[in-house]
Amino acid sequence: MIKTVDLHKSFGKLHVLKGVSEHIAPQEVVSIIGPSGGGKSTFLRCLNMMEVPEQGQIFLDGVEITGKKVNVDKYRQRMGMVFQQFNVFPHLTVEKNITLAPVLLKKKTEKEAREMAAELLARVGLSDKLHEHPGRLSGGQKQRLAIVRALAMEPEIMLFDEPTSALDPEMVGEVLSVIKGLVKDGMTTVIVTHEMGFAREISDRVLFMDGGVIAEEGTPEQVFGAPQNARTKEFLSKVLY
Amino acid sequence: MVENFIFIVGKYWKTFLVTGLLGTLELTAIAVAFGIVFGSILALLRRSHFWPLKWLAAIYIEVVRGTPLLLQLYFFYFMIPQWFSALELDKFTCVAIALAFNSAAYVSEVIRSGIQAVERGQNEAARCLGLSHFQSMLYVVMPQAIKNILPALGNEFVMMLKESSLASTFLVGDLMTSYKIVNGATYLTLEPLVFVAMIYFVMTFLISKLVGIFERRMAQSD
Repeated sequence: MIKTVDLHKSFGKLHVLKGVSEHIAPQEVVSIIGPSGGGKSTFLRCLNMMEVPEQGQIFLDGVEITGKKVNVDKYRQRMGMVFQQFNVFPHLTVEKNITLAPVLLKKKTEKEAREMAAELLARVGLSDKLHEHPGRLSGGQKQRLAIVRALAMEPEIMLFDEPTSALDPEMVGEVLSVIKGLVKDGMTTVIVTHEMGFAREISDRVLFMDGGVIAEEGTPEQVFGAPQNARTKEFLSKVLY
Repeated sequence: MVENFIFIVGKYWKTFLVTGLLGTLELTAIAVAFGIVFGSILALLRRSHFWPLKWLAAIYIEVVRGTPLLLQLYFFYFMIPQWFSALELDKFTCVAIALAFNSAAYVSEVIRSGIQAVERGQNEAARCLGLSHFQSMLYVVMPQAIKNILPALGNEFVMMLKESSLASTFLVGDLMTSYKIVNGATYLTLEPLVFVAMIYFVMTFLISKLVGIFERRMAQSD
């Protein structure tokens, strides 16, 4: 579904990605774990060209999206993204947050979009917030809204960038259970996370990134149960206590 | 002092309140209105990816902010009749144009900082949904930036209301000019000055309060 070939990315003098080649299959659920500064988020943000790699290629269903003349907006419509900081639109109602993109980009009529918004909100337990502004929502509610806002574009892939890192502990569960629901429905998912138990439970495959490369990868059982790489072992010993 | 004050107000109130205050309000309104138009264009140029335009705008803004307003008034006052004599603009218009060009530089900075104050994640989220840069600016970033920009524009109006008093250097018929007229006719200095100060203060105080109320309303709507 998404293939990357030898991605390199630098911020100034900082070489963050040092050649990442990956292939994410349809309906696959991939978790990316690893220490801060290891390139996890940058790699994820490269997948939808929010960061433009200075070397390497990205293919979506065999079509290269890293080319100069490519209209990235078209491809981004097929990939949903959820951020650590929610980034819901504070000036719009919950409903408008969801309907803005599908209506603007002519995927849906206003009426269809509204029906879908109601349906999506019901699915994540926010039906009563339809006409509220996000300022009145808790962190967990904001993140659930951010997820359904992305889903309203009917994406083929969902990218999660540490979706629970900015949440109060008691709100982590409600967001994780929404993601779990998506995964069960067969959504292709890439998630950068520090929730090791969650990663282990939902993933088909776990990538351990450190120093700008994928240092180790495998099934959750392999990576968590019997890590081969010394850095993976060290990292896991620090986070699993 | 008090007698003289009452005499001044009684005899010359029309000069102050009708001619003077109206002149000042007119100057200020023209300056800020055109300042907003030019300032928006400058802010756009400043964000342009075409570097000559970007630099031109930046240089203009820096020069205007780095030189005295009085000097700029002199410059336009003499430059327009010399270079654009065919237009036959009167001195009030020349001064108004000078104030507008000055205001534009400040307004463009107000707009720029208003846009920058919107969290970067907002634009990122919009772009991730597939919106174009333009759509993201129009539907996501600007509606939020406006809330930062409008109150600051109100403050710009208050600043300009006071600074337009420099226009009296050329006796263009603003509030400070009416002070000079009354002073010339009566040889009184402090009394008319106190009355003019009161008018300026009431105006700026009222407008600042209105801006404050407006600002709170805007903050509530989130």
